[in-house]
Amino acid sequence: MMKYLLYQLKKYPLAIVGIAVLLLWVIVAIFGPMMVSHTHTAMDSTNQMAGPGTAGHLLGTDSMGRDILSRIVYGSRSILTVALMTSIFSTVLGILLGFMAGYFGGKTDAAFLRAMDILMAIPPLVLSMVVLGIIGDSSILTLTLIVSIAFIPATARVSRGVLLTEKSQEYVSAARIRGESHLYIMFVEILPNTTGPILVEATARFAYSIMMVASLGFLGVGLQPPTPDWGMMVIENKPIISQAPWAVLFPALAIASLVIAISIFSDFVSKVLIHER
Amino acid sequence: MNRTLTIIVKRLGSLLVTLAVMSFIIFMLVEIMPGDVAQMILGQSATPEAVSALREARGLNDPVLQRYFRWVGGVVTGDLGDSIYMQGVSINSILWRRVGHSMVLALTAFLIFVPTSMFFGVLAGVKENKTTDSIVSFFGLATMALPEFVSGVFLITIFGVQLKWLPIVSVIPIGESLLSNLEILIMPALSVTFVMFGYISRMQRSSMIQVMHSDYVRAAVLKGMPRKYVIYRHALKNALLPTITIIGMNMGWLFGGLVVVETLFGFPGMGSLLMTAIKTRDVPLIEACVLLITVIFSLSTMFTDILYSYLNPRVRLQGGQK
Repeated sequence: MMKYLLYQLKKYPLAIVGIAVLLLWVIVAIFGPMMVSHTHTAMDSTNQMAGPGTAGHLLGTDSMGRDILSRIVYGSRSILTVALMTSIFSTVLGILLGFMAGYFGGKTDAAFLRAMDILMAIPPLVLSMVVLGIIGDSSILTLTLIVSIAFIPATARVSRGVLLTEKSQEYVSAARIRGESHLYIMFVEILPNTTGPILVEATARFAYSIMMVASLGFLGVGLQPPTPDWGMMVIENKPIISQAPWAVLFPALAIASLVIAISIFSDFVSKVLIHER
Repeated sequence: MNRTLTIIVKRLGSLLVTLAVMSFIIFMLVEIMPGDVAQMILGQSATPEAVSALREARGLNDPVLQRYFRWVGGVVTGDLGDSIYMQGVSINSILWRRVGHSMVLALTAFLIFVPTSMFFGVLAGVKENKTTDSIVSFFGLATMALPEFVSGVFLITIFGVQLKWLPIVSVIPIGESLLSNLEILIMPALSVTFVMFGYISRMQRSSMIQVMHSDYVRAAVLKGMPRKYVIYRHALKNALLPTITIIGMNMGWLFGGLVVVETLFGFPGMGSLLMTAIKTRDVPLIEACVLLITVIFSLSTMFTDILYSYLNPRVRLQGGQK
């Protein structure tokens, strides 16, 4: 297995870069806040809109004199946490619903498809922003929950699809004849055989989760201050983009590097897992 | 043709159900959540009597079901009601101009990303595993999940701040129309293009590769036909077809993206209007925007599905995905 992975990495050297950047962000999220010299809320009133490298602010400060680097470092924690939780939660919800619908078929499946039609009729970002905006509370938990629900049509359809291809396999009928329960067949017999496509979907979902969480933060319905949020940093500092472009550019670069790293990683995962099968 | 009609009727029926369910949920959600538009209009220092008088005047004290059905009755007759926050301005008078702006923006983006992503997707597919393919594929991968405001910020920094070619904000001066200010469309449209390019070019590439490896293309090559002829006459037609569905499926991302870029650039469209409506808890305005986005989105998926079945009669229509 290890050898196979190394062989794949050699074949796609870009994946090494992607994984390295992703790991770097994870390390920053865990240890970064202990290493930066400022906290994310500390205001340096003598150095507002200071350029990168001045007065101990490596990436400059915003209009309130807050250190951009510290805010990015603190912000990496919240975005990675929410995105990771969202991709896990939406995948689990997707498996539960998609498996139920595909396994029982008939009316259950029809009801599932109808519900998905309704959920799909409104773009996921619009759905999340409307609901989060109305609720007016964007704790990590609510944010995770709402974005996961918006993602259900995508994740549940993938799970339903892979279940349908497995359902007709002989080992499933064998388990049925043995008299195993439905739950046992679904989650002990079928689930282990579908990990490939589901993992591929889950890692791709991770990239989309980052995109959604960042966009919601940008729209002002994501995590609320004082929690630093990369998306919110961009919109907060947009008015001063001509005077202090770094205040907008660095958080945007942070988002871009993380999203691209994860996209490369998920592309690699799909190449490895799909070829393996 | 008969089948197409059945599809249309079915889809419109399901659209109506969706709209009813969704608008009801939004009404109930606003109802049970804290926050009060009357309080917001009058400010925090308003006396409770003044707030309750305003609620009475706006009909906000009626039971929620009564308000909901009154609103539905209005919508059915084409009256979207009045904005609550903007002191009784009729929604019909502000919404349609904004919708028009958003449609122009969406169309501009569409005209950019559809041909470019299809072209580069086909190119990458034909040159599978060559340098061209690697470049296009990497670019597609990089932009696939890049939030619109991030690409927008990069564009602003380059073309707005450094080169000063394009305006940083997309506002229309009072008394002028969008058509006389077309330069404000460029950066917002390009920002949306990146994400769509990523997804569609990748899909186009894989569908092209699939076709290039198919038996009939191989047969044509083995028959000794020139490669160009095979690509243009045989492969292209079949490789472009699935992309139509992919584009239809991704219209949802386009509409989400519009809200984001309109907010970034301050573009006076439907998305930024929805954003304002949400922040002011203006229920009729939220409802109107969401309703319209859903209708436009559903109609565009329906249209692509019909187009697909029209171009490819072998397909059985079973509804879009994603």
